[in-house]
Amino acid sequence: MHELAIVHGIVDAVTERSGGDRIVRVVVEVGRLTAVLPDALRFCFEVVAQGTAAEGASLDILETDGETLRVREMEVA
Amino acid sequence: MCAVCGCSDDVHGAGHVHHGHDDAHAHPHSHAHGHHHHHDDEPKRARSIVAVEQDILAKNDRLAGDNRKWLGERDIFAVNLVSSPGAGKTTLLERTIRELGAGVPIAVIEGDQATDRDARRIRAAGARAVQINTGAGCHLDAAMVARAIAQLDPPRRSVLAIENVGNLVCPALFDLGERLKVVVSSVTEGDDKPIKYPAMFRASDVAVLNKVDLLPHVDFDVGAFVERVREINPRAQVFVLSATRGDGMSDFYAWLRGQAAGGSAA
Repeated sequence: MHELAIVHGIVDAVTERSGGDRIVRVVVEVGRLTAVLPDALRFCFEVVAQGTAAEGASLDILETDGETLRVREMEVA
Repeated sequence: MCAVCGCSDDVHGAGHVHHGHDDAHAHPHSHAHGHHHHHDDEPKRARSIVAVEQDILAKNDRLAGDNRKWLGERDIFAVNLVSSPGAGKTTLLERTIRELGAGVPIAVIEGDQATDRDARRIRAAGARAVQINTGAGCHLDAAMVARAIAQLDPPRRSVLAIENVGNLVCPALFDLGERLKVVVSSVTEGDDKPIKYPAMFRASDVAVLNKVDLLPHVDFDVGAFVERVREINPRAQVFVLSATRGDGMSDFYAWLRGQAAGGSAA
């Protein structure tokens, strides 16, 4: 389950920047060559985000061709 | 490109609407924005998009960079050994330690989900070893390796072999701070491994084909395997050997001595 480690990276990246705001949406880019499964990411994200500023946020995954694994942006409220 | 969320329209396609924005366009999967059906019963708060633009593995990469710096300052040649379970990583290390140990000091970090069996084998072969058990984890990460390095305290100008968890998928993603990644395959696995697991073969600097002593008993085309490695990764160096019988080991040792001595003498 390397997706779990990836999701910790996502949640850390957004919560460190949220400044107390509630995060409602997170947009990540996942390259198809990275062997990271979008469905597994979504599953882990919901669990890992619990109890953080990103709890309940939706996770939008942009699948691209390369090897990128990047948090692009987030929407806060 | 969707101006609100930054997603590219050709990636998404149909079905998502930005409530409260003017650009109601469509995307193929539902793309929940968390506020679609709550407009009436929630106080309206300003929503804003914040650019993050951070690599997801940034933390691991930073720790791996620290490991690499520490190792580099001590002229320690660190190699990350990856393979599917049972390809012969530990056997390759055992033989290398026995035959090369006196000339090139080798210390080993062993990664497995459970047991210290591999670390005990390495110690029996004559090298120092630290075992990491990842539990449910499928790969080593840079933080685990940092702790193991602190415990092992490998000497200057030595070789640090990091034997990753047997898995051809996940370890490709996690930089540990090694100088080179070596992927080990064996002739019992099938000669199409490089094209079935391209991420790992692409990420590796060296491909070792092990267990060639078994070639008479299996249907394995060494030429096709090497060709497939080159197709995925033209820069990879290939060693064909048997860690149990000893075929091809001298070339591997010459390469390892060169790397341990200075780096680029490949």
